[in-house]
Amino acid sequence: MRSFKAYFKKEILESVRTNKYLILFIGTIFWALLDPLMLKLLPLLMKNYLPPDIAIMFSTFTRDTAFKTFLNDLFQIGTLFIAFTLMGLLSNEVSLKKLVFPYSRGANPAGVVLAKYIHYAVTISFFILIAFLTNYFYVNSLFIGGILSIEIVLKSSLLYILYYSVLLSILLCLSSLFKKGLIAGITVLVLGYTLSIFNYFKVVRAYLPNYLLFKAADIGYIFDNSLISTVIISFCIIILLVFLSILRMKKIDVA
Amino acid sequence: MIKVVDLKKSYGRVEALKSISFEVEKGSVFGFIGRNGAGKTTTMNILTGLIRFNGGKIFINGKDFLKNKQELLKSIGYLPETPTFYNYMNAYEYLNFIARIIGCDLKKSSKSVGKLLEMVKLTKQGKRRIGGYSRGMKQRLALAVAFMNSPEILFLDEPASALDPEGRVEMLELIEDLKDDKITIFLSTHILNDAERVCDRICIIDEGKILLTKNLSELHETYIQPIFDVEFEEDPKNEVNLLKKLSWIESIKENGRRISLYVKDMDYAKKEILKELSKLNTNITGYQIRKSTLEDIFMRMVSKNEII
Repeated sequence: MRSFKAYFKKEILESVRTNKYLILFIGTIFWALLDPLMLKLLPLLMKNYLPPDIAIMFSTFTRDTAFKTFLNDLFQIGTLFIAFTLMGLLSNEVSLKKLVFPYSRGANPAGVVLAKYIHYAVTISFFILIAFLTNYFYVNSLFIGGILSIEIVLKSSLLYILYYSVLLSILLCLSSLFKKGLIAGITVLVLGYTLSIFNYFKVVRAYLPNYLLFKAADIGYIFDNSLISTVIISFCIIILLVFLSILRMKKIDVA
Repeated sequence: MIKVVDLKKSYGRVEALKSISFEVEKGSVFGFIGRNGAGKTTTMNILTGLIRFNGGKIFINGKDFLKNKQELLKSIGYLPETPTFYNYMNAYEYLNFIARIIGCDLKKSSKSVGKLLEMVKLTKQGKRRIGGYSRGMKQRLALAVAFMNSPEILFLDEPASALDPEGRVEMLELIEDLKDDKITIFLSTHILNDAERVCDRICIIDEGKILLTKNLSELHETYIQPIFDVEFEEDPKNEVNLLKKLSWIESIKENGRRISLYVKDMDYAKKEILKELSKLNTNITGYQIRKSTLEDIFMRMVSKNEII
């Protein structure tokens, strides 16, 4: 618990001083703001240059489609921001020998890993929730039509929070395995993007965490029975990978 | 206090430590000396729980180190050769961070943090970010971290390597003071004069093997071997060749016009050396018998190991 508290405070200080909060903020909330504005303004700015059929498509955007566009952008760009900002979560600590003093004074690896995971999981969850609410506010103000409601937005954000919690656990585990954080970052990106392909296959998609994203965009039918196995598997992945990261950090040579 | 039995460590196929054993007594200063790559830092990293080992046993205060690692580490302070910190923190923040890990009372520790910074002369720079510190300042901050919570055992890896001459003298004085406070110190150093000044016991390690472990006084008694320094007026190449043929001379170290003679039988050498020098057809400008230093003993032990 001592190591957990010490590292939790250290992570807060580090995120403030090295602008990690700012980068994660831009990677999530920025799109929540920018997406609806761009969707609204782009047809007006480009009206003389766009072919008529595309111009009509823009004009038929409802609140639902605007929200789905945000979800898509958040996944594509937000994942990139999260992976590259947090790729050195454990690998940097080991390769730059930052753990020499803490470990030599009896730091508990479980406390170190849990503090890092919980801190960033809470941070990302908070930013995602704020991003969804911000997006809902702008989508509601700028577009009409559709069935989008605050309840749908909150349900959808919960699935995104769970998805990014899974992604963070993968990043944490890979970061403990590789000496270079970049490898962990790229692997997470490749995994995140390629697993989305399985959303086209009904038989397997419910067993992969990317199904959470699919269901988050399934406005009107977000929570149904098909999510049960996905949610259980997602929690299992998180527990397993965090446990493996702790095990790895207990065995790793830090000097 | 510390007992190491048959400790082994390999990096792939390279054997860094080949079954080393030694004991460190409570309250003593244990000098661990060896060349670069001899295995000093590897041993220290193992004893401070930073790296794993492949075989052997370590006991600290009679307790198995592997089984009681977390508990034992709380009574250990480590000063690595190249300390690394979180550069965005200042010294106060870093020391408080370590205090939290150790589990110090934060109200008490804020006082002790101030005292520690005063001790290592960093009070003025305490609120500056560590990233802007010089190497010497980082070394002094590392010393403060090692001293946190008054450890029973201190591991110091080349503690004076980044310090200026004044800082080096202060460091030696500090070690002498700690000795008086009965703190056990495990000191790794290249500076053999420093080891000779502060250590009670010396351990020479080379190529992952312990060559000797002895008390400093014992070491002088056993290995004390006066060296005959002879200075010639001209380059003594021929003379060296003639002297090398003498059976009682162990080795000759050449240094320009000056040579140092290491002998096998001291009493015999004392009687014979002047006779032999007078036979040489050359002018001698200097002659003295010098006591061997730790450096001489170290060089002899290490060169013998090379022959093995």
